[in-house]
Amino acid sequence: MNESTCSCTRRHAVRSLVGGSMLLPGILAELLAAAEADPLAPKPPHFSPRAKRVIFLFMTGGASHVDTFDPKPKLIADHGKTYRNGRYLIRPHFQFKRYGKSGIEVSELFPHVGECVDDICVIRSMKNDHGDHFEATLGIHTGSVTFTRPSIGSWISYGLGTENRNLPSFVVLAPHLPYAGGQVWSSDFLPACHQGVRIVPGPEPIPHMTPRTPSSELQEMELGLIEFFNRRHLAGRESDAALAARIKSFEVAFGMQKEAPEAFDLSQESDATLEMYGLERGSTQGFAWQCLVARRLAERGVRFIELIDSGASNNWDAHGDIATHIPLARNVDKPIAALLKDLKQRGMLEETLVVWTTEFGRTPFNEKPDAKGREHHARAYSSWLAGGGVKGGIVYGESDEYGIEVASNQMHIHDFHATILHLLGLDHTRLTYRHAGRDFRLTDVAGRVVHEILA
Amino acid sequence: MPGHQAAIKLSSVVFLCASLAAGASEEFFESRIRPLLSRHCYTCHTALASGGLRLDSRAAILKGGSRGPAVVPGNPEESLLIRAVRYQDERIKMPPVKKLEDGEIADLIRWVQDGAVWGAETAPGPDEIAAKAASFWSFQPPVEPPLPRRVPREWARNPVDRFIFARLREKGLKPAPLADKRTLIRRATYDLTGLPPTPEEVDAFLRDSSPRAFEKVVDRLLASPRYGERWGRRWLDLVRYADSAGDSADYPIPQARLYRDYVIASFNRDKPYDQFLREQIAGDLLPWRDEEDRWENIVATGYLAIARRFSVRPERNMHLTIEDTIDNLGKVVLGLSIACARCHDHKYDPISAKEYYALYGIFASTRYPFAGSENDQYQKDLVYRLPQEKVDEVLKPYREQLAAIDAEIARLEEERKALGQAGTNGTPGGRTAQDITADIRRASKRRAAVIASMPPLETAFAVTEGKPQNVRVQLRGDPRTLGEEVPRGFLRVLNGGPLPPECTGSGRLELAQWLTSRDNPLTARVMVNRIWQHHFGRGLVATPNDFGKRGSPPTHPELLDYLALRFQREGWSVKAMHRLIMLSRTYRLAATAAPGNAEKDPNNEFLSRFSRRRLEAEEIRDSLLSFSGALELGAPGPHPFPPPSSWNFTQHKPFTAVYDGNYRSVYLMTQRIQKHPYLALFDGPDPNLSTPVRSATTTPLQALFLMNSQFVHEQTERFAARLLETGAEPARLVDRAHRIVLGRPAAQDELRKAAAYLDQAGRKLASAGFSQQDRQRLALASYLRALVAGNEFLFVD
Repeated sequence: MNESTCSCTRRHAVRSLVGGSMLLPGILAELLAAAEADPLAPKPPHFSPRAKRVIFLFMTGGASHVDTFDPKPKLIADHGKTYRNGRYLIRPHFQFKRYGKSGIEVSELFPHVGECVDDICVIRSMKNDHGDHFEATLGIHTGSVTFTRPSIGSWISYGLGTENRNLPSFVVLAPHLPYAGGQVWSSDFLPACHQGVRIVPGPEPIPHMTPRTPSSELQEMELGLIEFFNRRHLAGRESDAALAARIKSFEVAFGMQKEAPEAFDLSQESDATLEMYGLERGSTQGFAWQCLVARRLAERGVRFIELIDSGASNNWDAHGDIATHIPLARNVDKPIAALLKDLKQRGMLEETLVVWTTEFGRTPFNEKPDAKGREHHARAYSSWLAGGGVKGGIVYGESDEYGIEVASNQMHIHDFHATILHLLGLDHTRLTYRHAGRDFRLTDVAGRVVHEILA
Repeated sequence: MPGHQAAIKLSSVVFLCASLAAGASEEFFESRIRPLLSRHCYTCHTALASGGLRLDSRAAILKGGSRGPAVVPGNPEESLLIRAVRYQDERIKMPPVKKLEDGEIADLIRWVQDGAVWGAETAPGPDEIAAKAASFWSFQPPVEPPLPRRVPREWARNPVDRFIFARLREKGLKPAPLADKRTLIRRATYDLTGLPPTPEEVDAFLRDSSPRAFEKVVDRLLASPRYGERWGRRWLDLVRYADSAGDSADYPIPQARLYRDYVIASFNRDKPYDQFLREQIAGDLLPWRDEEDRWENIVATGYLAIARRFSVRPERNMHLTIEDTIDNLGKVVLGLSIACARCHDHKYDPISAKEYYALYGIFASTRYPFAGSENDQYQKDLVYRLPQEKVDEVLKPYREQLAAIDAEIARLEEERKALGQAGTNGTPGGRTAQDITADIRRASKRRAAVIASMPPLETAFAVTEGKPQNVRVQLRGDPRTLGEEVPRGFLRVLNGGPLPPECTGSGRLELAQWLTSRDNPLTARVMVNRIWQHHFGRGLVATPNDFGKRGSPPTHPELLDYLALRFQREGWSVKAMHRLIMLSRTYRLAATAAPGNAEKDPNNEFLSRFSRRRLEAEEIRDSLLSFSGALELGAPGPHPFPPPSSWNFTQHKPFTAVYDGNYRSVYLMTQRIQKHPYLALFDGPDPNLSTPVRSATTTPLQALFLMNSQFVHEQTERFAARLLETGAEPARLVDRAHRIVLGRPAAQDELRKAAAYLDQAGRKLASAGFSQQDRQRLALASYLRALVAGNEFLFVD
């Protein structure tokens, strides 16, 4: 390799070596035109999309609906009365307040998100299929509460590919492992390139991203040598797209190595931005870091960005005392509101669907009249959507007067998924993958697109 | 934990096969109406026929019940079904529990309006099964085909070749020339052992000019213990082997490795495949020669035992574990998706829901071991190696202690409960609930101490006979809504039927015999297809787990039958199949495509050449370990799990661990809840689902692993040090490296390139301040990293 190329950027150096016209004229480009060689190449959706990408905010452990987004005056009125089977109704532990022009009520746990409520479609009729964490967490991610299936992010990566090959198509910002671990972002039977890449805040957010060679020049030399070996090997094997794809993958990897650290480098963000998210300069802690990184990944074309706020413990699972919701809400409230405002300011909210959800809600009743905690409740709970072609400032669906059952317009997890896919221009009945003799879907054999909430 | 755990709901596993080639109406029915009827109506309106009405076929709906037809196609207003769901009529409000959603009612109206189109009828009767069986290739017994004639001499040496050549001729495809000897030995060695040939092995093969030279190589490789590690892994892929249970806390199973090692040893010993299957399904019920043999048979049933566990209470979700058992057994042994018949009769293959529950009964009559779970954090029902009397004798004192403690805990819990109900603050003796709880905690501690002090008797994670019982059909796969009882038995389409009346056990022994009977048209075909697949990258049937109607038909049906019959005739010897296939001319073809073939046969289905393949995850890792000399051969013994007495895993703090080491990758500890990060990166097997075919994706994250991972850097630096130890001059070192990694000497242009590279790298390292000695090693390691990241290493021609 010529020393003079080192004066260019690394990316240029490798591009000129590997992908450009200097070597293998025409062959690579031609081979790579075949979609088969690059399963992550952008694919047209089934119909014109409203959103290009998703930011999926997942609250682990089961956030109480009647204490966050589903006010229940009757539950306050009937507090302490027996409900059924010797259980007692328990009043919400937090005050609700009307926000925005829409006047939608949000509890004091989420004052900042409340300020954004006119951009939000609150869903108060969510339904999951299981009342345990492990199963319900898989349910909201994969549609299946029993057998392993691909995650929604994998399905969307499979359906649409990615706009930026220098970053993974499906990124999961998860400081801790959630219930069901890596199954939550598994591509399962879909090709492995669609699995979520978990990012753990720290010096090397994406595994193997940092060069280990004693000098960067040595790594460039190695890449040049790989190219030399591959070019020699390709002679007489030009028709094999898999070989070409692998040659290309080193170029992309090199691009990633350069671009990914930059995506995670918040040093160029202004003080005002950091302040808005509530992030101390230099910190990689908390949901504020996750939200700001999410915006940067969204800007760079990542298709599906999931943020998991906590792990399989110390989370929203407030059996003992609902007051444990307070620090958890404080961790996420301001950053989420900042994310919404930031996306809006940058004109990105229209094409970015922001999803806030959890695996289930919590029981509006308990076994003792003075219980401070709440149990698991998958029969009715709350979530919300914002941006990406969703009507803001509306409420969809309702739970009954106590928040126990869905009273109208149920949003089953399959309906939720069908609607998210629809917003991305994907027909959930047509996004299928043949596996073991059957065409599988994210929505199994169910799911209804909820047109009522589309803008 | 909540006190109201819902039983696992099953709608998401209704194995309806969506996206049928049918009109929109049928699709509408399948996607909207059938699930709706099924969810809301079928508890009462199928076999129960409440009010004389069944709603599970179009005919039944048109016939109606005691009040007349339920539906008048095209006329919703006249249809009783619509009136009932609208709650229009006080006397019939359906479903009685809760009115349907408005959207659901609208769907029903639209369906009736559009003529009440029904989907594919389910419920095939016995005649229909026979008819379907008679009309579908895989249910026919294999027939000895005549060997194709008029085949050129060089193609007529091996019967396999005759079949291949005949199809090539038919398709107008020109076969590739033979691969050279270096290519061939590298191909064969990776195929059979998952490791590269050593330079010495390559040289010996090149020197051997006898006509039997390649045959000798194949025999040497088949006799290597590395063979079982490679082909055993393929079986472990199929049976979704893992070292943990898959429940919400993913309890470790330290004994699972015994089954893994059994599989590896069985392949190494060329255990007849039919016996291998019988042992895994009913080893505990088979006759045995000696103690060793008896234990091996018990360990073999680990296949059934490792079926996945579900939720925080696996023992309450055994219906899902049995489902997982049947699903896996069907796909792996028979190539049939039997589990599709769990909720309804199979829509494509002649398997009824009743037959599913006939099989289900066999496993319901089997005692599965228990790995522990959030609620019961210790193992139970494992099988002891010692005979039961001996076990009882050894454990008697401990069991007595445990029984006493358990009784004490039960009494304390009673006391606490009574206290709670009385609503008082203390017992007459002045003890509070807190006091009692503290006592319970102390007793539990003593209990754990007793368990920890028990002598470590050798156990296997294996099954035994349970209480023989038939089960009732679970309507829609829901264990809470039961239909009629079904006698245990095996699929009729495969010449099965109910268990013989003299059978007094679970029926596993009979099942094992049915599966391996020569009258079973599938078992041998499915296995020879897998062997073929792993030599050529693609099975004669491209869907190795699906030989049913939705699977791919065979490209060479006669060859498949020929192999299946020969397999049975030669005592189900897997190694004999390898020999037959590998000594064919077809296996020895080069990977280069003849001009014109690519258009006619883009996927090389007809094998006019060898299909180039990427090395699998294990092959890459094991090769790198072997290059560096770090690879430790043999089985590593127990995984370093924490001691069982310390297990307190919950869904909140599940068991998660990654244990690395320098043993072959087949021995890596495999969890259900998370894939090993390395294996996940290179398309490793799914530890939850049968993996019949490994995909070979190419991602930049793989490239990053090869460029930047600690593992690759460590191995290449060790490799460099190992080469430098020989004290040879640089050109010799480079040549040696090429021979080790690629199985060929370095070419002249490569040697020139290497000299320049090492020199330049050395200078770069010098300017970075490295010592002379380090420079030499690091420069060579840098060269080697590029060598192992290149396609020539990563692909097999």
